[in-house]
Amino acid sequence: MKFSKKLAMAAVAALALVGTAACSNGGSNSSSSSSEKIPSKITKKTTVVFWNAMPGVQGSTLKQLTNEFEKKNPKINVKLENQGDYNDLQAKINSTLQSPNNLPTITQAYPGWLWNAAQNKMLVNMTPYINNKNVGWGSAKASGIRTELLDGAKIKGTQYGIPFNKSIETLTYNADMFKKYGIKKVPTTMDELKQVSETIYKKSNHKVVGAGFDSLSNYYTLGLKNEGVNFSDKVNFSGAASKKVINYYADGIKKGYFRVAGSEHYLSGPFANEKVAMFIGTSAGEGFVKQGVGNKFTYDVAPRPGKYTMQQGTDIYMFNHATADQKAAAFKYIKFLVSKSSQLKWANATGYIPVNESVVTSNEYKNNKSTKLPAKLEDSMKHLYSVPVSKNSNAAYQQLNSIMQNILSAAQKGQNVNSQINAGKQKFDAAWKQ
Amino acid sequence: MRSNQKKAWLFLAPTIIFVTFFSIYPILRAFVMSFQSGPLINLNWTGFSNYQYIFSDPEFWRAIRNTILYALISVPVALAISIMLAWFIFSKVKHKSFFETTFFMPYVTSTIAIGIVFRYIFNGEYGMLNFLLRALHLPAPNWIDDPSMSLTTIIIFGVWTSLAFNIVILMGALRNIDPNYYTIADMYGATGTERFWRITMPQLVPTIAFLLTMNIIAAFKIYTSVYALFNGQAGVGNSATTAVFYIYNKFQIVGTPGVAMAATVILFLIIMFVTFLQRKMMKKIGGR
Repeated sequence: MKFSKKLAMAAVAALALVGTAACSNGGSNSSSSSSEKIPSKITKKTTVVFWNAMPGVQGSTLKQLTNEFEKKNPKINVKLENQGDYNDLQAKINSTLQSPNNLPTITQAYPGWLWNAAQNKMLVNMTPYINNKNVGWGSAKASGIRTELLDGAKIKGTQYGIPFNKSIETLTYNADMFKKYGIKKVPTTMDELKQVSETIYKKSNHKVVGAGFDSLSNYYTLGLKNEGVNFSDKVNFSGAASKKVINYYADGIKKGYFRVAGSEHYLSGPFANEKVAMFIGTSAGEGFVKQGVGNKFTYDVAPRPGKYTMQQGTDIYMFNHATADQKAAAFKYIKFLVSKSSQLKWANATGYIPVNESVVTSNEYKNNKSTKLPAKLEDSMKHLYSVPVSKNSNAAYQQLNSIMQNILSAAQKGQNVNSQINAGKQKFDAAWKQ
Repeated sequence: MRSNQKKAWLFLAPTIIFVTFFSIYPILRAFVMSFQSGPLINLNWTGFSNYQYIFSDPEFWRAIRNTILYALISVPVALAISIMLAWFIFSKVKHKSFFETTFFMPYVTSTIAIGIVFRYIFNGEYGMLNFLLRALHLPAPNWIDDPSMSLTTIIIFGVWTSLAFNIVILMGALRNIDPNYYTIADMYGATGTERFWRITMPQLVPTIAFLLTMNIIAAFKIYTSVYALFNGQAGVGNSATTAVFYIYNKFQIVGTPGVAMAATVILFLIIMFVTFLQRKMMKKIGGR
């Protein structure tokens, strides 16, 4: 009896040791290689692995572009590996970071996901590649990528990412309904949004809700930005500016002219069913709007009311463990993806915004009649904002969604929102402090 | 005492290796990690700060409260309904195997698929359930999109899904009861209620104990049904968040594995404590 117990203990201990040894193997070769020489030409067969989260049309367009690239560069083979949706991709990156050899060469990601990876020098600084004349453009300016988008792909001031599938928030509205209720001007400020929403709600005998916001995190973050407050751990959630932003939405819900998407996540469904006259959501969702609306009514797209709009969507990041050849090949691939011709195809097929400035202003893009965004895009992205990357900013930003949901559901039931705001403050601060 | 046969180790080896590697080692690792902070790639010791964090995090308490309420309400209710249905099928219904198969169907269907169907049934605007409630002039709450209803919705869904497994196991137990007991009871003129409480229930105690333990443990680990019912979220405003949801979110999304592991250790302790209590209780009932 005693012997067996001892044996079992020994077995546990031995296996535990084997386990820890196996786990600690991977972490040793994360040496920084920023001074590595960039090869000017890819002479050997090189494979680039690209983790992405692109479903449907987005995925098939990416596949087409990749095939085109491989034809032009026969030595480079790009393996596209779809990891599911954004949450899955984030979880996969998070758990693979501890064994860097299993990481891909490049991945789609939000900078906030990779804050820890950057801290641990696991990412490649893209600046030398951008400035390289052979694989890059020679300078950031020559790349033609919009500066705000490039800045949005920086982590602590270092250019780790190259923007790729970017979208902005826009206002989608039911143009027929506007006519029916005598609304002449599409709202451009938050005050006008409120007025128009109230009018529609009243004139439709409370049948049609005026407006709603898909992303409550974005609503809050941009609301604060418009009040002149940047998103950081200094934000006082129960402060005056914060309360002003919250109450604007909460009042609308109490009176009935605003609504939220709830567990459906997007308002494109209620919008297509004419239950809501306008909504603010991502430009990448226009495909779904178009499909849902069909021939029932005419919809149109306008810049998001208020000064700023959110730029969202992922960038492409490169991991440090790859060989010099792989990195150079991967960068050539990225350069191809953000080139004018690729971005034109990409934007037209998916509804993402072109990251390349020359595409935004080009006639080929603006004259695209199949979707409404291209004609309005230039006006829509005058003032872009993105969630600043710092420790836990991503967690706090995501937490905002559930905090706002709680506040707005209290408003829906006609309750006072102050206790929910105070509870929200606790959660918001806890999210920053983990 | 006779010593064990040496050969037994050989036969046990695969299981022992599996269990140590995949069950015991992760538990130890989780315990160690609960005292570390930072991302997975760069863990360092922090003492009890993870525990301090979760104990002061309102979200954690909400998760624990929801999980405990769910387990304490859904398990007994589901078990009571299961016993009733099983007894009804066993004693009153003719084509037993047909009904048994019907009741077992939910068990072999994926929770995600059922959850999606229930999401439509529960929908506040166009759901079937509210259609019926309105037809009967009963209040029709917003089951999915009202944070204060989330837990109720999850409990109803949980009761429904656990019926399948319970009924099948209980039917097996009912069949194993020696029919002579009932024959003799009939001879002495026992009523139906007496037969149920004096013969059936005592005979079912071991099975009920087993189901109670399994159901409680499963209830504490609830995740999939919440995910499916609320479209990938823990309910509107995280109102239906559960312990496992909290752990997953902290580990994979927020990237603070230490906090997640501290919550894991607490959940582990709670489950162990409840199971221990249950065994004590069942021993008392069973070993009168």
